[in-house]
Amino acid sequence: MWMARDPLRRVIRQTFFLTGLMFGRWGVWLTGHGRAARLSCSEKIASHRADELADRMIVLEDRIGKRADKLPAEVGTLASRISATTHALETSAAALSSINLNEAAERAVRSALPRVEEGRGVTKVNRAIGATRQAMADQIKLIRPELGVVATEAPRLRVTAEKLAGVEQRFTQGVDLVNRSFTAYEECLRSPDRIAVAGKHSIVIPWLIALLIMSIALSGVFLNFFLIERPMAEIVGESARIGGVGLPAFAAMIVIFLEFVAGVILMDAAGFTRLIPAFHAMSDAGRRVMFWVAFAFLAAFSFLEASLAIVREEIIESQQATEILAGSYFTAPAAAPEATSGAQADGEPVAPAEPIAPAARERASVFGLSLTTTAQIILAVLIPWMLATAALPLETIVRNSVFMLQIAGGFLLLAAGFVCKTIAAALRSVGYFALSVYDLIIFVPLFIEKRFFNGAREEDSGPFRKRKPSPPVAETGAGPELERKLQQAS
Amino acid sequence: MMVSHSPVPQLLMLVFASVLLCACGLVTSTNRAVFVLFDASGTYAKSVPAAARSANLLVSRLQPGDWIGVGQISSCSFSEKEIILQQQLPETPTLANQTQRQVFDKLAAYAGQVKPTKFTDIHGALAQAAFELQQRPEPAHYIVIFSDMIEDLAPRCDTSAIELDLAGITVVASNVIKSDPADPGAYFAMLKDWERVVTEAGGQWRLTSSPDQLPAIVTAQ
Repeated sequence: MWMARDPLRRVIRQTFFLTGLMFGRWGVWLTGHGRAARLSCSEKIASHRADELADRMIVLEDRIGKRADKLPAEVGTLASRISATTHALETSAAALSSINLNEAAERAVRSALPRVEEGRGVTKVNRAIGATRQAMADQIKLIRPELGVVATEAPRLRVTAEKLAGVEQRFTQGVDLVNRSFTAYEECLRSPDRIAVAGKHSIVIPWLIALLIMSIALSGVFLNFFLIERPMAEIVGESARIGGVGLPAFAAMIVIFLEFVAGVILMDAAGFTRLIPAFHAMSDAGRRVMFWVAFAFLAAFSFLEASLAIVREEIIESQQATEILAGSYFTAPAAAPEATSGAQADGEPVAPAEPIAPAARERASVFGLSLTTTAQIILAVLIPWMLATAALPLETIVRNSVFMLQIAGGFLLLAAGFVCKTIAAALRSVGYFALSVYDLIIFVPLFIEKRFFNGAREEDSGPFRKRKPSPPVAETGAGPELERKLQQAS
Repeated sequence: MMVSHSPVPQLLMLVFASVLLCACGLVTSTNRAVFVLFDASGTYAKSVPAAARSANLLVSRLQPGDWIGVGQISSCSFSEKEIILQQQLPETPTLANQTQRQVFDKLAAYAGQVKPTKFTDIHGALAQAAFELQQRPEPAHYIVIFSDMIEDLAPRCDTSAIELDLAGITVVASNVIKSDPADPGAYFAMLKDWERVVTEAGGQWRLTSSPDQLPAIVTAQ
């Protein structure tokens, strides 16, 4: 068993340790690539966030610019109002300050004194009081208008001041918003922790909202499909199938796709979305041309769908009339049952009854069209434009789906790396365990052999004395290399 | 300066080419060719108007692009003279409706002037209908028989031994009237016999008694 120990160790090393090394290297590779993928994705999210913030700042700047343009008009009115109020208050204050009540009262009393002297006792006093009151009343009469001015202008001043404060507050809010956006923009651009920056930007919620809107738009597509499928048979015929789908249905789908593409181009040319890279490099004039081309296409599609709505109604009425006519042959008209009953009994054919007039003719109509047809036309005209708006959430869905897939891919790589590393560690542990178990098994017979047969062995040229003991792992050729690789892997 | 070549356009072209190649094989026709046979024998001639009404219902349910042929079972049916009309419906629904109405008129005219024949050559009529259908490019072929299915061959027109080729054809027996109410067994045995004849000739046998079922059977695919 001692002899087998060295080859067995080699086998175990090759089986467990080399496999573990392989898994370890895979783990390292996967972890590295997973981290790189996460970093790359975070970088993309951060740069996208920076783009969004830049756009937002441009919008805010534009808004503040417009506000600033209006500011002179708003503040100018308030300033002139404040100026007028202040002037009025100033005048009133000057008038008030020019009045000396003490002096006026004294003067009045003094001028009244000769008349007071003419009286006696209480009469004297009453006259003095009356003269003083008169003098004071005269003076207060002078003050009252000024006080009225103060009473009027003070609330106006308060209101004007409040308005000014409101203007300042709104302006400050706008500036704060710009500042916050700029701070976030700076962080997006300069922060070394890209994952943290990306983590602040929500991907899933806008994606879900966009998905909801897109689902609603797709239900509109579904409705539109059923509206135009039948009348498309008038244009493309009804005899072929493509991949199991009838040609009219196929044509209807193509029309819907074309409407969607026209909508995407319209939204991109209008600058609402950035789905088509070519539009970014295009001049404003070129984009304007593309916008009007897409607009014209959508208008044409609206007209086409409106026409198809009318055709659809005609087809339905015609088919119903044909089916009624098919049944009305060889059937007695209701008006003259006795005239045809004989013929029926004889099995002779009866002239077909007139096809029943379409019920639509009896129904309410708008511009000569039945209400049903009118409703279909309205729906048909609106749907291409509604379909165009589906391009708006599409951008979010596409971009955020890519981000989410990249994030998921990064995590998958990390998870796979973790699994590989775990397997590597487990394999190494199993290898060590197998060696230890083997050593444990051979320990007892070796111990007995050494203890009881040692003397005999010393004389013999047995393998335990003569054979060179197997070198430790570190001394074998593959040992240090293997150990180094294992350390690298771990 | 490095120029990066995106693989997306090449991939899109590859996908587009693959779709085109696949689409070439995926384009199929949905049309059907239907040959209607009216039994003009003495025992069935009275039922021809009712049968024509069923045929009208069938024609009204045919799709644009379908083909309709009408013939009659007479004393010696394997003849062009017994073909009443052959008409392909136009591809568009509106024109197809107009043509269907013309077919109604022709069927009404035929049902109005049908003359009873002395003998009933069903084998010959089947052979005639199968021959006409085999010339048609439509993928689905149907023979609709309005008859009591009682064959009474003329001595000088014995077609009972002819080899029928009904491969790919579905034979639908409709409005098969019971000529002898006292003997249901004979009726069912006769139907079994005809089923055997049709299936041995490579065709499929269907039986319907309700006029509403007939269009459903023919336009099911």
